[in-house]
Amino acid sequence: MYIALGLMFLGLLLGRILYKFIDHALIGRLVFSAILFLLFLLGMQIGANDQLFADLPTLGGRALLLMIFCVGGSLLAVCLLARSLRDGRSKATARKPPDAR
Amino acid sequence: MRDSLIILLAFVCGIFCAKFGWGPDFLKMPEASLCALWLLMLLVGLSVGLDRRLTSVLKTLRPTTLLLPLGTTLGTFAGASLAALLLALSVADCLAVGAGFGYYSLSSVFITQYRGPELGTVALVANILRELFTLLFAPLIVRFAGPAPLISCGGCTTMDTTLPVITRYAGAEWVLPAIVHALILDFSVPFWVTLFCAI
Repeated sequence: MYIALGLMFLGLLLGRILYKFIDHALIGRLVFSAILFLLFLLGMQIGANDQLFADLPTLGGRALLLMIFCVGGSLLAVCLLARSLRDGRSKATARKPPDAR
Repeated sequence: MRDSLIILLAFVCGIFCAKFGWGPDFLKMPEASLCALWLLMLLVGLSVGLDRRLTSVLKTLRPTTLLLPLGTTLGTFAGASLAALLLALSVADCLAVGAGFGYYSLSSVFITQYRGPELGTVALVANILRELFTLLFAPLIVRFAGPAPLISCGGCTTMDTTLPVITRYAGAEWVLPAIVHALILDFSVPFWVTLFCAI
């Protein structure tokens, strides 16, 4: 796990140093290819495991519930944050005397 | 959207290849996916390091713009923790899935490696659904909650796949906050997912 994070930092550092010599679009394509390959491997692991394959509908249901809660939580948090910012701003405006510009 | 379909196709192809016994056996070994993950992490780091937008965006940032990714993170984590009460999953597992913020490819690969393919599949589907939900319900979210919640809903996808719907329904003035929001969340995904997988 720490090797993976360390490699990410190494990449970040290399990117900062060598940004003039590396093609950004090429790296983007390589990232996409690596992701495709890894998801193909994830599919292979599921296909090779009969129990996991049979559990796919259950896993999908769990995923749907998790998504609803995560999206609901973030919507609520940002709504509350936006409201508190608005309230803070309107209080600050109300406190200002009309000629104080 | 096209990329999402290609990614989904790669996953389905993997399932079929294993079902019909196609493909070399060494691909089923955990070492193969571990090496591929290390390569992916190096490439992700490189792409972040090469991205000059991050530095320029961070220089022009107002503190209130940073509240949006903070709100998304806290809200997602609160929602994921609540979901753990209903699901047969631990809070850490639910938080790891939620910490994908719609970045389904990287988060599912990471979770598969450290928690197994079962939770990796949940992460893949949950995060794809987050992107789909944002694309489909953008007009309704803006109408009933406002533009900032729409960006929050999109998570990491607000600088690519969901940016067109944000521009259309929230307005062009929300493009920069959407990009900053996605850049910060994008960068935080590997840290959060690793942290929750380690718990």
